[in-house]
Amino acid sequence: MEIIMSILAGILFSAGVYLLLQRQLLKIVFGTALLSHGAHLLILTMGKLNRGDPPILEEGIKAYTDPLPQALILTSIVISFGVTSFLLVLAYRAYRTNKTDNMEQLRGSDHD
Amino acid sequence: MLQYAVLAPFLTALIVPFLFRYIRAIHTGWLILPIPFGIFAYFLSQLTNISEGHTQLSGIEWVPSLGMNFSFYLDGLSLLFSLLISGIGTLVVLYSIFYLDKNEKLNNFYVFLYIFMGAMLGVVLSDNIYALYLFWELTSISSFLLIGYWYERQASRYGALKSMIITVLGGLSMLGGLILLSIITGTTSIREMIAASDTVLESPYFTGILVLILLGAFTKSAQFPFHIWLPDAMEAPTPVSAFLHSATMVKAGIYLTARLFLLFGGTDIFFVLVTGFGLLTLCWGSYMAVRQTDLKAILAFSTISQLGMIMTMLGFGTKEAAFAAVFHIFNHATFKGSLFMVAGIVDHETGTRDIRRLGGLMTLMPISATLAFFGAFSMAGVPLPIFNGFLSKEMFFQTSLDLETTSTLVASIAPFVPALAVFGSIFTFVYSMYFFFHTFTGETRGQLKVKPHEAPIGMLISPIVLVLFVVIVGLLPNMINEPILTPATAAIYGELPNKHIVFWHGFEPALYMSMIVVALGVILFLTRTKWQSVYNWIPGVLSANKTYDYLYNMQFRVSERTTRTYMTGSIRHYMLYILIFIIGATGVTLFVTDGFVIDTSDLAPISWPEVVVGLVMAIAAIATILMKNRIAAILVLGIVGYGLSLLFVFFRAPDLALTQLIVETVTVALFLLCFYHLPKLDTKKQPVGAKTLNIIVSVSVGVLVTLVAIASHSSKKFETIAHYFIKESHHLGGGNNVVNVILVDMRGLDTLFEITVLGLAALGIYAMIRLRDKGEMD
Amino acid sequence: MTNLIFLPILIPLIAGTMFVFFRKRLPLVRAGTQIVTILNLAVTAFVTYYVLENGTLVLQTGGWDAPYGIILVGDGLAMSLILTTNIIAVAAAFYAPYSLDKGREEFYFYTFFLILIGGVSGAFLTGDIFNLFVFFEVLLMASYGLITLGGTRQQLRESIKYVLLNLFSSILFVTTVAFLYSVTGTVNMAQLSVRVGYVNQTGILTTIGILFFIVFATKGALFPLYFWMPNAYTKPPAVISALFGALLTKVGIYSIIRIFTLIFNGNIDYTHTFFIVLAGFTLIFGVAGALSTNNIKLIIAYNIIPAIGFMIMGVGVFSELSLSGSIYYLIHDMVIKAALFLLVGAVAIVAGTTDLRKISGLIKEFPFLGWMFFIASLVLAGLPPFSGFIGKLQLLQGAFENGHYVVAIVALITSLLILISVMRIFILGFWGEGMDLPQNTRSIRPLYFPISFLLIFSIVLGVGAEWFLPYIQQIGVDLTDPSVYIDAVLKKE
Repeated sequence: MEIIMSILAGILFSAGVYLLLQRQLLKIVFGTALLSHGAHLLILTMGKLNRGDPPILEEGIKAYTDPLPQALILTSIVISFGVTSFLLVLAYRAYRTNKTDNMEQLRGSDHD
Repeated sequence: MLQYAVLAPFLTALIVPFLFRYIRAIHTGWLILPIPFGIFAYFLSQLTNISEGHTQLSGIEWVPSLGMNFSFYLDGLSLLFSLLISGIGTLVVLYSIFYLDKNEKLNNFYVFLYIFMGAMLGVVLSDNIYALYLFWELTSISSFLLIGYWYERQASRYGALKSMIITVLGGLSMLGGLILLSIITGTTSIREMIAASDTVLESPYFTGILVLILLGAFTKSAQFPFHIWLPDAMEAPTPVSAFLHSATMVKAGIYLTARLFLLFGGTDIFFVLVTGFGLLTLCWGSYMAVRQTDLKAILAFSTISQLGMIMTMLGFGTKEAAFAAVFHIFNHATFKGSLFMVAGIVDHETGTRDIRRLGGLMTLMPISATLAFFGAFSMAGVPLPIFNGFLSKEMFFQTSLDLETTSTLVASIAPFVPALAVFGSIFTFVYSMYFFFHTFTGETRGQLKVKPHEAPIGMLISPIVLVLFVVIVGLLPNMINEPILTPATAAIYGELPNKHIVFWHGFEPALYMSMIVVALGVILFLTRTKWQSVYNWIPGVLSANKTYDYLYNMQFRVSERTTRTYMTGSIRHYMLYILIFIIGATGVTLFVTDGFVIDTSDLAPISWPEVVVGLVMAIAAIATILMKNRIAAILVLGIVGYGLSLLFVFFRAPDLALTQLIVETVTVALFLLCFYHLPKLDTKKQPVGAKTLNIIVSVSVGVLVTLVAIASHSSKKFETIAHYFIKESHHLGGGNNVVNVILVDMRGLDTLFEITVLGLAALGIYAMIRLRDKGEMD
Repeated sequence: MTNLIFLPILIPLIAGTMFVFFRKRLPLVRAGTQIVTILNLAVTAFVTYYVLENGTLVLQTGGWDAPYGIILVGDGLAMSLILTTNIIAVAAAFYAPYSLDKGREEFYFYTFFLILIGGVSGAFLTGDIFNLFVFFEVLLMASYGLITLGGTRQQLRESIKYVLLNLFSSILFVTTVAFLYSVTGTVNMAQLSVRVGYVNQTGILTTIGILFFIVFATKGALFPLYFWMPNAYTKPPAVISALFGALLTKVGIYSIIRIFTLIFNGNIDYTHTFFIVLAGFTLIFGVAGALSTNNIKLIIAYNIIPAIGFMIMGVGVFSELSLSGSIYYLIHDMVIKAALFLLVGAVAIVAGTTDLRKISGLIKEFPFLGWMFFIASLVLAGLPPFSGFIGKLQLLQGAFENGHYVVAIVALITSLLILISVMRIFILGFWGEGMDLPQNTRSIRPLYFPISFLLIFSIVLGVGAEWFLPYIQQIGVDLTDPSVYIDAVLKKE
């Protein structure tokens, strides 16, 4: 199962990176979202999958899944959420001020 | 005591701005004149001590952890230079009082000049290589500032920068050599290095070190082809030219070569490099001096040539040659210093230094003319006992004939040396005559703005003193032999020379050489208009200046071109560079280190619902790329997110699933909100090449991530620290939901700052929305 | 005592949060920020002194034993960098009110600024690799706030690139942490060191190490990963550029130094040789960038890159001396880059432009500014007796001693080119015939204080090197021996 999930993460990364290489801002932002998903899936996969119950302590359960990756993912999800929201607003504002959302037209030069 | 001698000029430089500001009635120069004189007097008082063979060592610690100390060492060689620096320094300051008006930026001038003086004393007195390097660069910097003194002039700025670039380049090279020396010998003291000269000689880096250090010496002492900065340095006020660019700073390279003579001297490579470049410089400098039209330019090329001559002598490697070099260092400082000062007087009184417009000044400026006569004839090496220049030049000829031909290499080169020495000296004779006769005799050639008259006596004192030395040393050379020349030679060569200087040797080859010089020199001088055309074609192909300008401009052109090539401003390019680097570096590493392993023994069983969800996510991810409609794209992207939270449920991570669900929902809403305002998705096709590259790169990244993930998962070697959390969560953390306990307790710090990030994001968004630049559309 | 090391994070965090609520009361916030930065500097100076004299302080946050909870490790390296950070913070706090427009100040400049300082300090202190990620995000988020602040067209344009590239490298960061956790089962850096060493840094670990290197090198602006940096750093106002130039890239370098001395030290022949090669290219391409432009801010921004090259060269050479050189150079560079950005900021105010072709002869009107710039240029170029030389000398010695001649010679040539690149500003901008100065610009006199404050520190760091060097050399020694760090963290008292 871990191998399948690794491949899935790889596909998410591929798709994300492909979108990052596009011209249009919107697509690039999509790309970052896919990349975050891939990363979070990987963190979970890198603990062992499905080796026990959810890490909520109860009597009589011997094995739990690794709680630490879950904690890390939670932190990471919240942070990505913050950054993504910021990026969205920034993209919107950049579009409004520069009047284009095509990154190839946002190259700029030294002296402006 | 030595450290105070070095420190005094620096301290003076510190108070100069205050003196200049608060004591306007008196020319600042007068106020600080006693300092160099005091230093000179101090060094004079050391003469007997040093000539008896004693040395002096004192200093203060600076950074002992790196072996950097200001340790100063006074022996014959450093004493000679210290006397020149402080002596000529005194004369130059005196001269500058009359040369520079009270309305000039005297504060700047004297600050730079005194910094230079201190630095130059530091160079010749330092025993520690790092202190030497410090002072060395400080002389370059102060020289830069002095050349750029009239910074409004384009030529000053050009000359200043040029001198700095070339000398700092040499300084850095020298630093490299000195560091290597210190690594080999395990010391930072020059004396101790010399004591360990055998180690140096046997080191495989010997040649490398020598080249690095000589590059420093050659650039500083204006050896061909690095001489080009010196003529441009003539933009500096004339007192500066007299002081830095003829008598002292340009001799720093000579000093360094002499100081390290015991390490390198006597080897073939040393001979070839030092004598070779010296002779080249000697000939080229004197040849070029003849064609100059600016008095100071003639003197600049003359200085280059004379420095080449001294270098040549050091390269000979014999005791006699070392003695001759020392003697000429002294003589050159006297006659060239006086000539510069005369050139400055002419400039000051006539308003021009252009020799084509000058002439017949003898009657108007008799004293200056007399001074110039002694200076120029001494420089030319006219065989009369009143010119010190002749004595050392004849020694030069003599030693060029007496090379110790210990190896076949030296033996094969040796015959050419005297010939070249004579060749260079002929031109020296020509320009010396040209300098004197064209300025002071004949008719006045051009219309001068002012009617020239003799300079004020104050301005004349300094050159008079120097010319007195020219004559007295010429008449009684042995007066300075015992106290100055002998100890200096001993310091260079390691043995006492025993040389009595005599004017008349009898009819010996050296005399014939001098006579050839005079005879041919007179002929060439008189016929120079006939052969002047030779300058039209020889310098054209050999000009190092053009190379410098070319290189200087090229560095900007090449930099600009390369930088513009990759700094395109396109985020796609930047991402591509980074991604390709990641693929390359990580892929190669994975391959080289045999990092990829796969171990299927410890995997969770494949469960179909999970696989199906995964498949849907994969399809959705790819669909995001292909969607033409933005709303559809956002929704498909949402499928990936929701799929992920479903996976979290399957993989026993309920908290994650919940959070992911909420975050995904909010994000999708945000996407819809923001991108409602953004333009529609671009359906224009990308060029095929770009698209292929994108696909290759993105697939490679995906594959790499998968491979590293599988390898990481297959390389589990340790029990994770999670067991502790499960064990202690209830007991110490007071909660049964382990993930929550970790978040709020064990890793509470993460959570605290995760909230900080959110808060900052909120503030940033608020600021972006509220604080807008003017002139954007609503 | 150990709790004290949390203060450099906590003080700015609390102050920054408080100032959110006083948005409109600028005089209060300005003065408050100045007081807080000075207070923080005093506290840090005390703690640093304590640590250097008495050894590493380890704080187990929440009272959880290492390696299970997050720990903060105040060792010599971390504390001396935090001290330097706070020196720059004080200068920035006094520069900002006289150079920023009211809009930027009101929209939380001081909050972003203070939390940035806190985040940077946290990144230096933390002994937990995931927590390092979190602190990176804190300081990045603060930097996102700062870089977009004001919302000019160019700013937003460059911000997008900056945010995207950093976001990408952050994602790579978390992913790499996941890989490392999979192999080693821990995120505590000391334990990571033990465990990676225990399995002799297998191939996959070296690969993970290289991934970490790429992550930090992207933040640290190393060749060929720095493209996002020069333009992004120069678009915001000078004081923000100064903070970025002095602090942000340096956190990346710090992380490389830390990770590749403590954790991934098992395959030095491979990894560190790779670093030396990259260092060489970084030196050349960076300084070429500095020579390529006439924009004075951009010249300084490009000069960040070769400095990074020097530091990575020291890591690559990997001897006690060269690491000490890297750290000395790091500290030196933080201060002088801040000073130079503040200086060109002042130049831009009086000249009304950053285009060097339009600036001339400023030294007549502004001699003090001119001479400060001149000295700063010499400091930057690493001429003795200034601080750059002390660092560079150790780096060169280290390189020569270990047979890395090529990179040493490249470094020497680069030094000259650095000097040319900044001396051009002096020769063209301060020397020259003079220019028509724009009227009614604000006075730059108040800016002299923060600039000279940094410059004096820079000079003291060079001339008074002996006061600092033994400590830095000790840090170099400790870095080559990971057990010092491990023992401090994992051993029970």
